[in-house]
Amino acid sequence: MTALYRLAFLFLLILGWFIASQFIGRNIIPTPLATLQAGARLFSEGRLLEATGQSLAVFLSGFFLATFVAIPLGAMMGAIRPFGKTLDVYVFALAATPRVAFIPLVIVLLGLGIEAKAFIVFLGAVMPILINTYAGVLAADKELVEMARSTGAPQTRIFSHIVLPGALPFVAVGLRIGATIGLINTVVAELYTAVTGLGGLLALYGNTFRMAEYFVIVICLAIIGVVMTEILRFIESRLGRWKMS
Amino acid sequence: MTEKPSQPALEFAGVSKTFDPADARPAVSNIDFALPQGMFISLLGPSGCGKTTLLRLADGLIAPDSGTIAAFGAPPRPGPEIGFVFQSFRLIPWASVAANVEFSLRSLPLSKAERTERALHWLEKVGLSRFAQSWPDTLSGGMKQRVALARAFAPNPSLLLMDEPFASLDAQTRELMQAELLSLWSEQKASVLFVTHSVDEALLLSDTILLMGTRPGRIVETLTVDLERPRDPDAIRADTRFIALRQHLSKKMRELVLSDPQSDFYGR
Repeated sequence: MTALYRLAFLFLLILGWFIASQFIGRNIIPTPLATLQAGARLFSEGRLLEATGQSLAVFLSGFFLATFVAIPLGAMMGAIRPFGKTLDVYVFALAATPRVAFIPLVIVLLGLGIEAKAFIVFLGAVMPILINTYAGVLAADKELVEMARSTGAPQTRIFSHIVLPGALPFVAVGLRIGATIGLINTVVAELYTAVTGLGGLLALYGNTFRMAEYFVIVICLAIIGVVMTEILRFIESRLGRWKMS
Repeated sequence: MTEKPSQPALEFAGVSKTFDPADARPAVSNIDFALPQGMFISLLGPSGCGKTTLLRLADGLIAPDSGTIAAFGAPPRPGPEIGFVFQSFRLIPWASVAANVEFSLRSLPLSKAERTERALHWLEKVGLSRFAQSWPDTLSGGMKQRVALARAFAPNPSLLLMDEPFASLDAQTRELMQAELLSLWSEQKASVLFVTHSVDEALLLSDTILLMGTRPGRIVETLTVDLERPRDPDAIRADTRFIALRQHLSKKMRELVLSDPQSDFYGR
């Protein structure tokens, strides 16, 4: 039933888009049909796939790097209290600083290639994952921890069996926010450094008023965002399958 | 742990514990008692008398400020020798029922297969083998506490600490659980220290009742329950000795609550 409503709403969106294209002017908002044709053209020329591949490479390398750094670091900050208390002020300060501010510095240090782009994605994704993992470990169920202690469990077992699994819902939220910011930063990186990928095409078509092609890129980015968050939501529901609905 | 038969399973000597240094009154003060091996002792008292604190001290989860505690002659250490059953069940929600029972066996030198086998054996004893692979949250309160009992009994502890384990269950389930506990205990012969605020429960289960008062938590009376085992809940309630003890304890409990300045009923 939900799927049906969603399809109906999609139809309404496309209808609204069509009406807007008729009233505002086709050179500013292309018709859905013109956009579809432009999409087919870009696809058959291979430019769309190439750009998507470049963007995904940037996004995924930055996002996975962020995951591999943020989860262990956040877990350690939560597990070793003096360590966490020392670092958390700086982490929160860095999280509040717009990461785009670091782009000129990243370009100076890493150049304009994929390393610089992936690092900009990393900067965006790392903070939400880190902060949520940290919060999740700190929110460990004190009663379960005491139960585990009473069985004679050493700290390592308490951490791996009680604290870490309990933090997983927090980590999952961090991953979803991190993925969203990571995708934004992918486009930002592609606009600010060497112009490549979907962000590059976005700039190219936007600046030359090829609005049909421009719309194709926007829709592509939206689809990548949806697919990414749906994959993470699926993982989340698998991990949380013990929860009563 | 060396176990000489003469040695008590648990012994408190002059034990005091204060949590809040600003509060002059300790949580428990000058506690003296011994739990002989194989005996069932209940700590009975109104809420706030430090019963739970005594259990945590007895498990070695916290250390006393003064006095000494010995479990089989040595300072207690949390581990498979001492089982703990909590009022709030404390099952691991993301682990299956079987994995929850296995958790307490991880401190023993057992292989994975031996752990699984022992866990299933204990689930069978509490009548829950069908639910071995279920999630704890799909079980009722009584079933959850049976899983917790299986978890506490599985490592064959010589000492069992139970913190109002049946207080959050409905009356019928509670009676069945008491019977279940007595049958497990009669096979196992572990020594039990059982915390409750129910006079009936204490009388039905224990060999000795330690009545506790509040602020500071202290033992005000030691009572021997001279009723033969096995005890049938219906027959025992009609026993004149039971009725006399019950009246005495209920009156004492009421006095303790009324004389506590922090009680809602103080001075009434």
